[in-house]
Amino acid sequence: MSAMLLNKEKWPEFVGKLTGKNVWAPQSDGTEMRFAPVGENEKVVLDYNNTRVPPKGALFPQTETMFKFEIGSDKVEEPPLDQEVVVLGLRPCDARAMTIVDKLFKWDIDDPYFVKRQEKTTLVGLACNEPGLNCFCTSVGGGPAATEGLDVIMADLGENYFVEALTDKGKALLDETRDLLEDADDDAQKQKEKLSGEAEDKIKRSVETEGVPEGLPGLWDDPLWPRVSASCLGCGTCTYLCPTCHCFDIQDETEGIDARRCRMWDSCMFSEYTLHTSGHNPRPTRKERTRNRINHKYSYYVDKFDVIACVGCGRCTNLCPVNIDIIEILRQVKEAL
Amino acid sequence: MDLELLRKTGAEVAARDDVKYLLGWKQGTYGYRVAPAFVENAAGAAELIFSPLCTANLATYLTLVEQLPVPRGEEPDTRKVALMVKGCDSRAVTQLLVEKGIERDEVVVIGCPCPGVVDPALLAEKYPETEEPAEMKWDGEDFLLIRNGEETKISRDELLAEKCRLCRYPNPVVSDEMLGEPVETWAPGEDKGVEEVEAKDVDSRLEYWMDQFDKCVRCYSCRNVCPLCYCQDCILDRLNPTWVNRSVNFSENTAFNIARAFHLAGRCIECGECERVCPANIPLGKINRKLARDVRDKYGFEPGVDPEAEPFQASYKPDDPEDFIL
Amino acid sequence: MCKNPYIPHTATVEDTWFETGGERCIKTFKVVFDDEKVRDQWSHLPGQCAMIGVLGVGESMISISCSPTEGQFLRFSVMRMGKVTQALHELEPGDKMMVRGPYGNNFPVDEWQGKKILTIGGGIGQAPLRPIVEYVRANQDQYEGLTMIYGARTSNDLCFKGEFEEMSKCDDLSCHLTIDVEEEDWQHNVGFVPQMLLDLDPSPENTIAITCGPPIMIRFVLENLKKLGFEDEQIYTTLENRMKCGIGKCGRCNAENMYVCKDGPVFNYSVLKEIPEAFA
Repeated sequence: MSAMLLNKEKWPEFVGKLTGKNVWAPQSDGTEMRFAPVGENEKVVLDYNNTRVPPKGALFPQTETMFKFEIGSDKVEEPPLDQEVVVLGLRPCDARAMTIVDKLFKWDIDDPYFVKRQEKTTLVGLACNEPGLNCFCTSVGGGPAATEGLDVIMADLGENYFVEALTDKGKALLDETRDLLEDADDDAQKQKEKLSGEAEDKIKRSVETEGVPEGLPGLWDDPLWPRVSASCLGCGTCTYLCPTCHCFDIQDETEGIDARRCRMWDSCMFSEYTLHTSGHNPRPTRKERTRNRINHKYSYYVDKFDVIACVGCGRCTNLCPVNIDIIEILRQVKEAL
Repeated sequence: MDLELLRKTGAEVAARDDVKYLLGWKQGTYGYRVAPAFVENAAGAAELIFSPLCTANLATYLTLVEQLPVPRGEEPDTRKVALMVKGCDSRAVTQLLVEKGIERDEVVVIGCPCPGVVDPALLAEKYPETEEPAEMKWDGEDFLLIRNGEETKISRDELLAEKCRLCRYPNPVVSDEMLGEPVETWAPGEDKGVEEVEAKDVDSRLEYWMDQFDKCVRCYSCRNVCPLCYCQDCILDRLNPTWVNRSVNFSENTAFNIARAFHLAGRCIECGECERVCPANIPLGKINRKLARDVRDKYGFEPGVDPEAEPFQASYKPDDPEDFIL
Repeated sequence: MCKNPYIPHTATVEDTWFETGGERCIKTFKVVFDDEKVRDQWSHLPGQCAMIGVLGVGESMISISCSPTEGQFLRFSVMRMGKVTQALHELEPGDKMMVRGPYGNNFPVDEWQGKKILTIGGGIGQAPLRPIVEYVRANQDQYEGLTMIYGARTSNDLCFKGEFEEMSKCDDLSCHLTIDVEEEDWQHNVGFVPQMLLDLDPSPENTIAITCGPPIMIRFVLENLKKLGFEDEQIYTTLENRMKCGIGKCGRCNAENMYVCKDGPVFNYSVLKEIPEAFA
C-alpha cells in the first residue's frame, strides 16, 4: 500500500475514528508516560521518547485471568478475548520484541491467550527521531524506523505524520480512516528516510554480538559474573520492564466462592523463581540469576529460536537502580571470549 | 570531600586482613550514574568517589548478600565488611545494630560527612544526560557539574534531593573512621510533600494513592533496595499461606505497599532509596516520612540515631498514646 | 482454534494408598478421566509427566508413575511437600483431581528394544522409573531382561513395596533392594545405592542404565556407571525443576538452553554432561 500523510491537526479525529476498538496509547500519568487504554476525552500525544513499562502488556498482560471457576466445581469459564485492540504509537523496538516472544508463545503448542490477543490487535508504530541515551537497537537487528512486527508505521515529519500500512490489518485500519489521509509524495518519503538515517546516527551506544551466542555458555565460571552481579539488588525492574521478557507465574486466587487461575509476570531475578519446594535452589545467588538473564537473552534464545531476545531498548540499563548496564556486561563478555 | 583522603583510607581498609571487601561508590557507566563498588584490595580503591551523585545507600548490601552454607571442611569467612556511609546511610547501620540485624564487630564504618546529594531525576530533567560519564562536586554552597569538559555551577536549592532538604543528620552517627570534618547542619525545610497529602480530605487522599498504587508493577525494587527490609522470609513472597496475591491490581498493590510501610514504621531512616529506585515513580517517600513523622511526634522516637535504643515496635510504655485504637 | 492447553481435565480418584509415612509421606493416586473422549485420546509413554492439581489451590508437575500398558488409568505418587501436594494428599477415592498433559519427552523405549535395561532408583526417584519397569515387564519379548536397583533411607521410605515380590518371580527380571542402615527383619541389602551398583557389577554390554533419585545419589551413580565401563550414550536420567506451565512458555524450568518441561525431563548423559546447570 502506498504511503500516506496525516496532518497533525487531524490526529485527534484519527484517534476518534477508532472508537469501538480498545485503543492503547502512551499517556502521561503525571510524571511518566505509560501505555494505557484511551478514555473518551483523553488526548493521545505522541511526543515522547519511550514508556518506562513496555507495551508488551497488550499481548501479554501483567496479570491475566486464564479461567474462572467456583470453588467445589470443575466447570471453568475462559475469558472471551474478543475485543479489537489498536496500539498507537509504540516504538519499533517494542513491536519487534513482540515478534521475538511470538516464537516462544507459538513454540510447538500455541499459547491461546497470546495468540487470541495478537489476532485482535493492530500495532501502529512510530519511528524514533530522537533515540534515547541507552538505545542500541541497531546492534541487535532493529532500527529506529524498523517495521518488523508492525501493521502500520508512522513517522513524525513535523507538520504531518507519514503513515504506511504494512499488513492487511494495517491496510484495513487505514481504510477506515482514509478520508483523513492524503497521498504522500516522494519528498515525504525522502524526508522520512532522511530522518531515520539521522536517528540511526544519533545512537551512541552499541554492543558487539558476533560470537556471543556460541561463546556465552563457555564463560560459565568466568569471574565476570560475580563482578557484574555483586551490586544487583535482586529486584524485578530489568525483567519487568524488558519488552522481550516473557516469564510468568500461575496462581489460583480465590475470593469467597469465586476463584480464578491467573498468570502474572514473573522474574528470573527473584530467588523464589527457581526455588524448589524442598528448599533446594538451582540458582542460589544473584550471580547465577544474572548469568541466566544474560545467557537466556543472548545465547539460549538464539539456540532455540534463532534470534537474540534483546531489542536494545535500553530500559534495563536506564532503570537499574544500581547501574547494572547490559551494554557494559556484553562488553565484558566479548572481552572474556 | 578530599578524594585523595577517601582513596587512601579506602585502600588501607580494603587491604586489612580482617576485611572481606569495602563498599563504596564509583563512577558509573554513563551519564550521571554512580555504581556501588566492591573493593577487595588496595588497588581497587583508586576508583572510589564521593560526590553529590552518590545517592545510593550501601548499607542494604550488609543484609542482601546471600549467606550460602559453608562447604564441608571449609572455615566460614568471618571477615568484616567495610562500608562508606553518608549521614542517612549511617542511620541504617545504627538501626540494623539496634535490631541485631548485624553485629558491630562485623562491620567497619567509614563516615562521609555529607553536604547533601542531588535528586538524580531532577538533574537529568534540567541538564539532560549524555552517554559520557559526568562528574559532580560540592563547590561551597553550590554544586559543580562537570561533563564533556565543561563546568556548570548549579545552585544547591535547584537540585538538592528532597531527603537532603529535610535531613537532620548529614554527619554519620556511627563510624570507625570519619573522612574529613563534620559538615554544618542546616535547618530542615518543611515537608511539603507530606503536608500536601495530609491536607487532602479522605476521599481525595484515597484517590491520590489509588492513582499511585495503580502504577506499581511489583518489581519489589523498593523492598530490595531498603536497608531495613531484610526479612529472610518476606510475607510478600509467601505463597503458603498467601498473604498478598501476586496479581497486580490496585487492591493487591495497596496491600503490598501498606504492609511495607507499616513494617517500616519507627524503622525507616528516610534515606529515600525506595522512591529513587521506583520505576513507576510512586512517591514512596511521602508514605514513609509520614509514618516517621507520626512516630517522632507521638512517641518521641527516632530510629537509627542511638545504637543502644530499644527497637520501637518491640517496646511498650504505659503512657503510649493509643487514640488510634478503637 | 485448538483447545486451551492450560485447562485441565477432570479425573476421579479411584484409589489411594500411602507408600511411605512421616511428615513428607508419599501417597499414590490412581485416577481415571471423567470424559471418555479424554480417556481415549490420552496417550503417554514412560518418563512423561502431567500437571496435576486442585482448582483453587494450584497444580504441580508430577511424573506419571504407571506404564500405558497397565490400563486406561493414571497413577501419581506424590510426596507431601508444599501447598499443592498438601491439597492433593487430602484427596480420597471419589474426589476430583485436575490433570493436564502428558508433558515432556519420554524414555526412548522403542530404541531400547533388544537391550538389557538397568534401572537405578532412590527414594521418590523410583516414580519415573516404575513405568519403565512395568513397560518392559509387559513387553518382555522385546527386551533382553531387566535389572532393578532401588534404595531408600529406611524400609519405610521404599515406594511400591508390595510390587517387588511378584517381580522377583520373573525369570528375566532381577530386583535388588537396599536401605541405608541396618534394620531388624530386613532381608535385603544394606548400603547406599551407588555402592550396591558397584557390588552388583552389571556388564555394560548391550545395556541401558537409567537413574533417578536425589542429586547426590545421581552424582555417585553416574561416577560408578563410568567406572563400570558404561558409555555416556548408555546412560539416561531425568531432571526436575520448578515448573508452572509445562509447555515451554513460563520460562522457569530451564537448565541453560534446555527446557526441562519440553526438552526433558529425560536426558541422555552425553547431552547432560555438557550442562553444568543441570547439576546445580
